[in-house]
Parts: sequence; C-alpha cells; structure tokens
Amino acid sequence: MQSHGGQVRRTEEFRHGCDDYAETSPPDKYTRRSLLRGAVLNPSPDPWIRPPVRERTVVSGQIVDVSPHVLILQTATGEQRLTLTPETRAWRGTAVRPAALRGEDHVILRTRRHPQAVERMWAQIGRVTGTIVESRGRELVVDEGPARGRQIVLIDAGSMRQVQVRFPRIAPGYLIDVIGMRRPGYLLALTPATAQPPYRAVHPPVPPLVNGHVPEQVSGTAVWHEPGGEPPDLRGIAYPALDPETGCERPGEPDAGRPADPHDAGPGCVRLPYLSVGSAVQIRNECCDAAAVLPVTSCGAASRLFCDRCVQCGTSPRGRLADLTMTAFIELGGNLEDGCFNATLSLPG
Amino acid sequence: MLSALREVQIPLLAVLLISGAVAKAGRAIRVRGAAWTSPTALFPLHLRRPLAIALCCAELLLGGGLLVTAGSFGAGTPAITVRALTTLLLATGVGALHELRSRRPQAGCGCFGELSHAPVSWRVLARAALLAVAALGTVTAGQLHGLATLTGTWVLTGIVVAEVAVLAALSPEIGEVMVRLGYSEPCELRRIPVARTLATIRRSAQWRRYRRYLTDTEPSDVWREACWRYVVFPGIAEGRVVDIVFAIYMQPRRPAIRAAIVDAATDQALASLTIPFQRSAPPESADLYGSIKESQ
Repeated sequence: MQSHGGQVRRTEEFRHGCDDYAETSPPDKYTRRSLLRGAVLNPSPDPWIRPPVRERTVVSGQIVDVSPHVLILQTATGEQRLTLTPETRAWRGTAVRPAALRGEDHVILRTRRHPQAVERMWAQIGRVTGTIVESRGRELVVDEGPARGRQIVLIDAGSMRQVQVRFPRIAPGYLIDVIGMRRPGYLLALTPATAQPPYRAVHPPVPPLVNGHVPEQVSGTAVWHEPGGEPPDLRGIAYPALDPETGCERPGEPDAGRPADPHDAGPGCVRLPYLSVGSAVQIRNECCDAAAVLPVTSCGAASRLFCDRCVQCGTSPRGRLADLTMTAFIELGGNLEDGCFNATLSLPG
Repeated sequence: MLSALREVQIPLLAVLLISGAVAKAGRAIRVRGAAWTSPTALFPLHLRRPLAIALCCAELLLGGGLLVTAGSFGAGTPAITVRALTTLLLATGVGALHELRSRRPQAGCGCFGELSHAPVSWRVLARAALLAVAALGTVTAGQLHGLATLTGTWVLTGIVVAEVAVLAALSPEIGEVMVRLGYSEPCELRRIPVARTLATIRRSAQWRRYRRYLTDTEPSDVWREACWRYVVFPGIAEGRVVDIVFAIYMQPRRPAIRAAIVDAATDQALASLTIPFQRSAPPESADLYGSIKESQ
C-alpha cells in the first residue's frame, strides 16, 4: 500500500482560490464580511465575536502533569492549571479516569463556570470521514476531500467487528466515518461514528425539490472534524453548501489515483442556502438546548455525501447541516466520542 | 363491457411495466444506486443490486410479453403464462410494498425511478393491489379482438380514461411531475454566475452614482449569503480609503441592488455619501436573508 505519511494536503494551486479561512493570509477579508454586509443591509450578529460570558469554555493543549485534582496544561497562551472533580470524565480511547491520562498527550476539554472545573476531556482523539481509496485488511487510505486530503486509518483489531457491523463494505468507493486515537501518521479507529450508507460515495440520494424559500430552520445532524491546518481554537463551521461560484465547485478532471470530488456529487440530501466563508450561522444543539452564532470557516462538501441521522436525543432528520470545528462542537455541549448531536440550523438576523 | 374492461388492462399493464422498468433503469444508470428507493432495500446489501436488476428485467420482459401475446401471435399457453407471471409479479409487489412500509417507513417504492421517492402510502398500496387484480382478470381474457363498432370505441375510450384517472389519483408520482414542471428554484439555491452579477451592477443606477469613488473597477471581494450576493470595490472618498459595497438580490432579471460606502480604516459607514435607496412605491420590508419584492 502506498504510504502517504499521514495527512496529504492539497496545495492552493489545486483549489484555484476556493475560500478557506485557515488557508487565506491574512483572513481579515472574511472577518470583515459581516461588517460590510451590515452596512448595506440590516446588521446581524458578528459571528467572529465570542460572547464575553459563557457557561462553557473550551481549552486545548498538551498535558504537563495530571493528578486526581489538578490538571496542568501547556496551551498556546501559556501554562494553565485546571481543577478536576470526581464528576470530571475523561476519554482516551475509551472512558478512563482523568489521572490515567499521560503526560504530553494532546487534550481538548470543556470547563464549566460554576463551579469552575473541567467537565469533560478528550485525549488524543481523532476522526476520519471520507471515501475509502485503498483497503487491505484493517489498513485503509481514506480521502477526506480536496480540502483535507488523505488519511491513513488502521482499524483496531478489537474494534474491527464493531466497525464492520456499521460499515459492512470496507472497500474502495464506499464511505467511512470513524473516531479513534490520533497516532503519528495515522488514526487508530476505535468507534464507528455512523452507519455506512448503502450507496457509493459519489451518488448520494437527491434531496426533494424546495419551492418558495428554504425553511428558516433546517434540522439534521451536526458533526465535527479535526483542525488539520486550522488554528486549534477556531470556532467555526465547514459548511456543506458554499456558493458554487467560490471556485470550490469546478468540473473535476479525471484522476486515476483519487475518487471523484464530493462537489460533483450534487447538493446532498438536505437543501441548505448557499453561503460563503465569513457568513454567520446559528447552530442549536437540540440535545442540550445550547445555541451559538458561528462563522463559516471552510468548505464541508464531504458532508453532502452522508444522509445519516443522529440519534443522541431522538432521531434527527437525515442530512449533515454543519461540520463543526472541535472547539465549536464541544462548546455547544457535544461530546466528541458521540460523533454528532441533533442540530437545527438557521440564519441569524 | 366486461370483456372490454378485461382486454383494456393488457396494454395498460404493459405500458406501466415498461415505463416503470425504463424509469428504474434510467435512474440506476444516472446514480448507480439502483437499490436506494426500491423494495430491494428490504434485502441484505449484497443482494440489492442483483435483485433490482432482476426486477427491472422482469418488468421489461413481461411488459413486452403482454404486448407481443396480445394478438393471435402467442395466443393460448404463451399468453396465459405471461399474464399469470405478471399477476404473480404484481401480487408479490403488493406484499413487498406492505413490508417496506412497515420496516422502512421512510423509503420510497422506487416504482418509477426518482419520481417515486415519497414514502409508501396507502395510495401506492391500493394502486399495486388494483393492478394485481387487473392482471388477474387478464389471465383468461384470450386474445384481443379489437373494436368493430363506434359504440365499442367510445366504451373503450371511457374505460381507459376512467382507469387512467383512478391510477393517477392513486399515484404520488403525478404530483412530483407537476412540481417539477412548475418548479422555481428558491433564491437561496439559485445559481447565477459572478460575471452576470458584475454586469448587472455595472448597468445599475447605483454604479453610476458611486463610480466616481472607485479606484478599481475590478472587485476586491465577492461573496454570497442566501438570497444576496455582495461585491466590494476599493475606492477613495472624502480623502479616505473606502470600500464600496454592493448587495444584489439573487434574481435573474431586474434584481434589487443596494449600496453603501464604508471607511476601510474605521469600519464606519459614510452616511453622508450613502444615498438612500429611492423608489416610487413604499419599500417592502427586506430582512437580511429574506425575500424582497422591490426591483432596481
């Protein structure tokens, strides 16, 4: 199997100017869009401004030391000491005691304000979502789309049966979505994040036609993705329906080495209004009634390929509305190991 | 009358079977997902594709067989065999649709390809049962004799029209066809090339008003949010570097256009230079992402 040495990114020249917050320098043009829009039409909430007071905050960094009551984390802004309580829950491949986390593990965690303490934390968690390109037993190469490139996935031997129940076709051309432990150069897959659709990756079902206007609120599933090239603390959405004129959608040139571009697969199974990077979107977590206005930060065309439901609290309608950054997902009350939460998307203003 | 009723079922059933097969095949070729909305969704994944192909072929062969054996050619045993197999297929279909409705309530029947994506309802079941009964009635109908009298022609026409009307009333696909014929893409989903947007802006009154402030006629930024597209040009006004923002409604003809000037350094709108949108009739309310009925 050809070694890809971990994530293989597409360079800017391949994308011909496709909008992406993380890959545009400086990204000011996206952050100014809401201001310019407000000048010519009615102002709306600035999605780039974080609310000053939040019930939950998200912190990420590398573990320096951990004890039953205190976690010392090296973050981008320096060292932080965080309080652990008996209610603090930790994940490292599976549910573990916080003290079982290891030094130098990369963690992302959610703290609550009252009383201030760590609520949940995840160590070395990763996720791969996309089309299987190569497979040999438990080893896979998965294409996550033009924006994120290819990933190597190794399905843990003990988890193989569980993964196969949800993904019976581990073969090139089929979709996969797994959560696991991030290791150097690959993901050790432990948990299937959803059930495999019965169709091949490039032919998802066509959504029903929408007459009049797109509904003001659209319900479906919100999922999350790893930062990749994005800042680790970025709050944002990889949106499945960026304006086709942005350059992300272009006639795909046949490439024997990779599957068809998800942009060529059509709009997906849920019709969302076309937006651009910098647009404001309100996402509500229906499972815990938390909501936030978030900016669109990149293209999430790969989400169109999935027509799955989230069953964290009831059964959501089919379709992925938003592929959130880890920070945004956790801040909205989602738990990374669950993979999704039932969500409602609306446009503020 | 009864014999005319029985005879008319043969070409009707043939047309329905052949059109169903063609619609399924067309969709399967387009999306390569033949099993997505058909009763084969009840079966294990590895069986769905071969079963869908078998079903399509069976419908095509039986539909063709009904037509070929309708006259003197194939009369007798071949005709009875084809009609009996058609009855068996349609009766099995009734059971399969009932099962699909119970176990996969969100799945469409796939009877006519992508037109049949709506969940299986009592109408679809009733239609399938009606067709199965109609097929049963044809088994002993004998060969078609044609029509010798004008009265017979009118009777036959009346029967066909009535039956087609009943089938149409029981077919959700008719509604889907009407929707597609009258479909108008919502503004949030409308695709209009950026070049066309720019050409429209450059022909507008707002462009003529703000043209003198522009330092470049090529935009520095273009983006879209739902029903509006925004185009920004760099400029200089009152000795300050500014951005001139145009907002254009996503409508192919005579879209509404709004404009404003924003100080690039302070991000303040220059109200003194922003000419209010003027129109002869009172403006409709236009929220950020909603519809707007005013025109340029």
